[in-house]
Amino acid sequence: MNLSGSQTVRRLVLLLIAAWTCPAIGQSGLPYMNRNLVVLDPAHGGQDKGADLNGEPEKDVTLDLATDLRAALTARGFTVVSTREADLPASAPLLTNEQRAGTANHLRPAACLVIHATMQGNGVHLFTSALAAPVTAYDPSTPIPWEDAQSIYLLQSQRLVNSAGLALVHAKMPVLISRANLRPLDNMTCPAIALEVAPLTQEGKKTAVTDSGYIQHVADLLAGAIQSWRDAELPRPAPAGGVTP
Amino acid sequence: MIPRYQRIAFWVLAGAILLMAAFTIHARQRVHERIAQANDAMPYVAPVNAQTESVTLELANDADGSILSALRDVALPQEPSMRAKALLERLFAEYSQPDSMHPLRAGPKVDDVFLLKAPTAPASSDLDSAGMIAVVNLRSSFADTHPSGIEVETLTIQSIIGTLHANLPQITEVRFLVDGQQRETLAGHADLLRTYPAVDTSFQPTAPTENPPQ
Repeated sequence: MNLSGSQTVRRLVLLLIAAWTCPAIGQSGLPYMNRNLVVLDPAHGGQDKGADLNGEPEKDVTLDLATDLRAALTARGFTVVSTREADLPASAPLLTNEQRAGTANHLRPAACLVIHATMQGNGVHLFTSALAAPVTAYDPSTPIPWEDAQSIYLLQSQRLVNSAGLALVHAKMPVLISRANLRPLDNMTCPAIALEVAPLTQEGKKTAVTDSGYIQHVADLLAGAIQSWRDAELPRPAPAGGVTP
Repeated sequence: MIPRYQRIAFWVLAGAILLMAAFTIHARQRVHERIAQANDAMPYVAPVNAQTESVTLELANDADGSILSALRDVALPQEPSMRAKALLERLFAEYSQPDSMHPLRAGPKVDDVFLLKAPTAPASSDLDSAGMIAVVNLRSSFADTHPSGIEVETLTIQSIIGTLHANLPQITEVRFLVDGQQRETLAGHADLLRTYPAVDTSFQPTAPTENPPQ
């Protein structure tokens, strides 16, 4: 079959557009993920104040942690998107869990962090989704149910939570790793973990969950863990031209 | 000049009013104490005609995030939904004890447990053997006062599911309502809209390892 020059160019352009728009399959067999992008979801906000943390609403603590985490991740070269940048006005409609997950899913980030705080427990609690792992490998032609969207990313999420847990343990921070059914975590199509900061009791010294130094320390440790996890799981692609001698 | 008999009648009536007021206050106090005792959620009182049997409770521990099985002797009704409710009341009685590792405020927590045939169960099967969905109708007074947090709420949910699964194996799925209505979360975190598979929920958290999960 002979093609004219203009037809060949047209086919090449279409091929390039298709390659650019179709989700690329990553090394892990999962859809393309932007290795430099992290989505943070500071829970609650606006009328939803969350738990009462010694007089301070949970929504403020989660926002503080997200702000610190954004700064620490940005300093490590990440682009960070947050589902809320400030507290929502009381008159504004609540940010739904579907909107939070939708924000993350549209951006195809390398990692998603759902941020909570509590008065129960000690140190940092880390969670992956409690959904069951899929029995078959990911098939791009099969629709993923919204309720179980996180299930195909469970392995990557477990590696992320392991990396974050290790960083905290190395810093002698009490850490508890568990699984939970939580929205929007279960609906996220990215390696995702939920993080719950609790008051810290260490060597007889108690630190409130609202303590800014404690929050900053946790943010720094997590940012480092995310970076080392990203470098191991999603290594930088080799330059197209190969290595120059 | 007020006649003498009117003065006497006045003071007699005034005295009667004071006595009635004192009696009313005393009676109110007694009723209040009786209700408080009824809400104390102490161990389940055995029905006269029920046999005591050994049941497995999946008990949560806030300190290490674990859920471990424990055996208790309890008298339970035979009717499955009443049995499920009695089991959960017994479970929550454990959490209302002062030394509980997963402390929850005392008081009634479960309104009803409904057992429905699961859509996947064969039409000919009876309720005792078929796959059943347990719909646990919690009280809003319980959900509203439950400690808030992913860990503590998840432990409560998993403890309920595990206890039902361990003692009523015909239950295959568990759903939750609060005061008969759907509710997004227990206390702001754990998902209550999801249908949970009834599985063994005993769990011991693992420490992070240098070798990532494969």
